[in-house]
Amino acid sequence: MIKITNLEKYYKTEEVQTIALNKLSFEVKQGEFAAIMGPSGCGKSTLLNILGLLDDPDGGSYLFNGIEVAGYNERKRAQLRKHNIGFVFQSFNLIDELSVFENVELPLIYTGVKPAERKERVHAVLEKMQIMHRRKHFPQQLSGGQQQRVAVARAVVNNPKLILADEPTGNLDSSNGNEVMDLLTELNEAGTTIIMVTHSEHDAKFSHRIIRMLDGQKVTENVLV
Amino acid sequence: MIRNYIKIAFRSLKKQPFFTLINTLGLAIGMAGGLLIALYIYEELNHDNMFADADRIYRIETDIKFGGAEIKSAEAAPPMAGTLQTDFAEVENTVRFRTLGSNLLRSSDKTANIKELSTTYVDSTFFNMFGLELINGNTETALKETNTLVMTRTAAENHFGSVDVVGKSLLLNNKETYMVTGVMEDLPKNSFLGDYSIFMAMAGNVASRENIWGGNNYYTFVKLAPETRMDNFQLQLDGLLEKYVLPWAKKTFPGMTADSFAASGNYIKFHTIPLTDIHLYSDNQNEMGETGTIQNVYILSFIGFFLIFLACVNFMNLSTAHSLKRSKEVGIRKTLGSNRLQLIVQFLTESGLVAFASMIIAIVIAFIALPFFNDLAGRNISIPFTEPLFYVAILLITILLGLFSGSYPAFVISRFIPVDTLKGNGMKNSSKWNIRSMLVVFQFGVAVFLIVGTLVVFQQLEFIQNKDLGFDKEQVLVINDTYAAGKQLNVFKQDVLNLSAVKSATLSSFMPTPSSRSNSSYFRESAMDQEYAIQMQTWEVDDDYLNTLSLELIAGRDFNSQSAADSTAVIINESTLATLGLSAEEALGIRITEEVERENPEFYHVIGVIKDFHYESLRENIGSLGLFMKRSTGSMAIKLKTDDFASVIASIESIWIKRVPGQPFNYRFMDDAFETSYKEERRLGSIFIVFTSLSIFIACLGLFGLAAFNAQNRIKEIGVRKVLGASVSQITYGLTTDFLKLVAIATIIALPFGWYFMNIWLEDFSYRIQIGWEIMSFSAILVISIAIITVSYQSIKAALANPIKSLRTE
Ligand SMILES: Nc1ncnc2c1ncn2[C@@H]1O[C@H](COP(=O)(O)OP(=O)(O)OP(=O)(O)O)[C@@H](O)[C@H]1O
Ligand SMILES: [Mg+2]
Repeated sequence: MIKITNLEKYYKTEEVQTIALNKLSFEVKQGEFAAIMGPSGCGKSTLLNILGLLDDPDGGSYLFNGIEVAGYNERKRAQLRKHNIGFVFQSFNLIDELSVFENVELPLIYTGVKPAERKERVHAVLEKMQIMHRRKHFPQQLSGGQQQRVAVARAVVNNPKLILADEPTGNLDSSNGNEVMDLLTELNEAGTTIIMVTHSEHDAKFSHRIIRMLDGQKVTENVLV
Repeated sequence: MIRNYIKIAFRSLKKQPFFTLINTLGLAIGMAGGLLIALYIYEELNHDNMFADADRIYRIETDIKFGGAEIKSAEAAPPMAGTLQTDFAEVENTVRFRTLGSNLLRSSDKTANIKELSTTYVDSTFFNMFGLELINGNTETALKETNTLVMTRTAAENHFGSVDVVGKSLLLNNKETYMVTGVMEDLPKNSFLGDYSIFMAMAGNVASRENIWGGNNYYTFVKLAPETRMDNFQLQLDGLLEKYVLPWAKKTFPGMTADSFAASGNYIKFHTIPLTDIHLYSDNQNEMGETGTIQNVYILSFIGFFLIFLACVNFMNLSTAHSLKRSKEVGIRKTLGSNRLQLIVQFLTESGLVAFASMIIAIVIAFIALPFFNDLAGRNISIPFTEPLFYVAILLITILLGLFSGSYPAFVISRFIPVDTLKGNGMKNSSKWNIRSMLVVFQFGVAVFLIVGTLVVFQQLEFIQNKDLGFDKEQVLVINDTYAAGKQLNVFKQDVLNLSAVKSATLSSFMPTPSSRSNSSYFRESAMDQEYAIQMQTWEVDDDYLNTLSLELIAGRDFNSQSAADSTAVIINESTLATLGLSAEEALGIRITEEVERENPEFYHVIGVIKDFHYESLRENIGSLGLFMKRSTGSMAIKLKTDDFASVIASIESIWIKRVPGQPFNYRFMDDAFETSYKEERRLGSIFIVFTSLSIFIACLGLFGLAAFNAQNRIKEIGVRKVLGASVSQITYGLTTDFLKLVAIATIIALPFGWYFMNIWLEDFSYRIQIGWEIMSFSAILVISIAIITVSYQSIKAALANPIKSLRTE
């Protein structure tokens, strides 16, 4: 499903040029659950942003479902992204002014789903995440674990083929963290491809495969399953 | 302690240059506008205040209804002043003016005349009455003798090139010789004497000494003893009727008694108006100088007040918006033990600093803008830099505005609860957003109101300009003061008519441009009684009048100068017809006269009826008018048949110089003269435009800042939305509509207000526009477009930003 070859990304600041990704190559198959690990600053988030079509690589190739997307402009990337990819962030990134229901509803609005169908699908996913009873609450009124479940609900409401999760348990305690990992595992078992960045070996064990990075390069790959 | 507050305030202002700039600029512009308006209003309210004992000086006015005529006059009869002086103990002093309008003057050794626009006879008590000094000459003797005059510095310099001219002589209208007995400083522009330059001794005005209570030609001022009770004084004034006026009237109308006088519905009422009220409150047609209206003072106060208020609202809005970013700072300060009061003082220090900086900039702006403003308002205002009180007032206002605009933000910010802010949850936005929203609604409401006002004023002016007046004022050149040509006038007219560019020319002192003219009573031959009096203006014209001004005959014929019978002919307008209750055909041939009491009255027979035309301002209805064929040489109207005005004017002027050497050649186009009579409206229009633009600018500055802060505060949200698939246009739309909703609400609220108040303004005009949906929708579209432009820059910028950056920045 995803195949990157010699992917490069540079950041230029006034004085220095940082090489965030250095000729990185790997492949993730449909239905896989991959974990990416590595020390802080090695380029994990940068990679995820490119895989998520939020950012453009400076070199190399990125095949998404067999289509070359490196060099796509912002509009085309956005089009592809909103139908195919869901995101889960470490800091949840829920919108404070919107209720749980409205937060989850957003991706459906942007893909042009009709209101009646939106309601049905949001309810279904909230039900599945067991936060239906909180649908009228606002993010500040929820615990961290609940907030992350809302974020996951939001990521999957559009039935994306790929979910990208950047340290989804980073801000959670271990029991809440495990809940979120169980959710991701369930989704993966239902067929969604998942790529997750994590610092936790514990969380990484939920995946099929761990890609380890250092200074923008792949170091090793451990297949767990 | 205070130094510490100021230091910290400085730092935090410097940390936010964009915010500080917008706040200071908005406040400075508001203050500058407010300052100019305040100075204007101060001048208007203190008109004529500079004269000694101004608070004890009153003018005697006369309301008369007699012989069918109804007159409200600013003037009194010649014996009034003397009578008051001798009969009334509380009258300390009196002075009369008998104004003469413009006159030609030249020093005896020169041949060219200079036209002095405002000249008057005045009693010798003039100086004492108003506490005036002479630069040269003696106030005790200056205006005692006939044929003496006192002139202002400017006039003296114009005529003689010096102020040391006592004893020199001047020729008035090429006839009378006057001796200069005094030179005084120019009179203050904001006084009723501001236009006057030549004061001639009343002794030379024979009629001023006659005991006639009939005519009212003398502006009569009295100075009353301190603490005079005005109700008592009024009672005494009422007594004059019985004591002097009726006895005098009996001589002319034998058998008339107080009862029979009153029974026929007649009255003569004398009353007083304080000198200092004349400028704003008098609505007499025949004032000595140009007056203002209290209405304009109100309108301008309103505009000035809102201008400053808008700027303060900006400050409040931006500061509270900005405060969200400072919530963390406040949280930390509070945790470290700072109490609420200290925080409030800190924030007020900041607003005080901004207010202070704004005021300094405002004074600079006002100073630069002053000449333009004076031009606009038709005044002569200066900033009183030498007045210590000015600085005290400025300082007080600055502190007040600083406190006012800082109070709300300080209150909001100091209320932050540390636990909430440190947790980074921010405030529950909704409640604060509501007050901020209300302020934005208010700002744009005012802007919409002012836009409606501007449009209505201009549409009304446009309407006036384009209204069919019933005569053709285009391409009509009017030469003034043609009486100066004397015997040469006919030759001059003939020469002018010989020019190929001239179609026709007419001689008359009566031109259809607004001026103060009065009615006379006429009577139909068949109804020779006071109660059937017809009020009609008497215009003396020649047989070229109708065709030169394209007046339309609807019945009968024009004058014929060859016909001797036409010397007693009259042409009336439709209004007269209506008063007579006749049809145009019925009216032809009827005879009318003024001389109802005479044995053998002189009758005029109606030979024609013309369509009504607007000879007065459109504020007035068209009154009855009669044209009589009489020689009247005040001015000559020339109808041109060319657009090359410059060359035809040059030709006419060269004829004038040849035929009438040494006399000034004064001309105007009739449509220009017409324009002048709407000067006050035009001023109001320009003032509206300028201050409306300013208030819109201030409101937009605020909106721009607010949009910037809004985008900044929502940067994370925007990032999230983009990640979830929102397009740039969706985000721009979302950010923009938030504000547009407010502007739309403001528009909906403000339009009815604008409609209501501008209709009140329009009521002053007999002929006026309807405020239609065009004005309403145009105002709405204009303000909403401006708001869109203002907000969309920030919105688009925020929407285009890369979401990764915004999501990283937490
Ligand atoms: N916008 C940027 N501008 C400049 N340098 C950047 C930018 N974003 C990332 N970098 C640099 O690129 C490198 C990779 O950053 P990245 O955020 O991908 O690391 P990471 O592996 O996600 O680290 P962490 O585990 O701490 O999240 C780092 O050295 C970082 O400083
Ligand atoms: Mg990272």
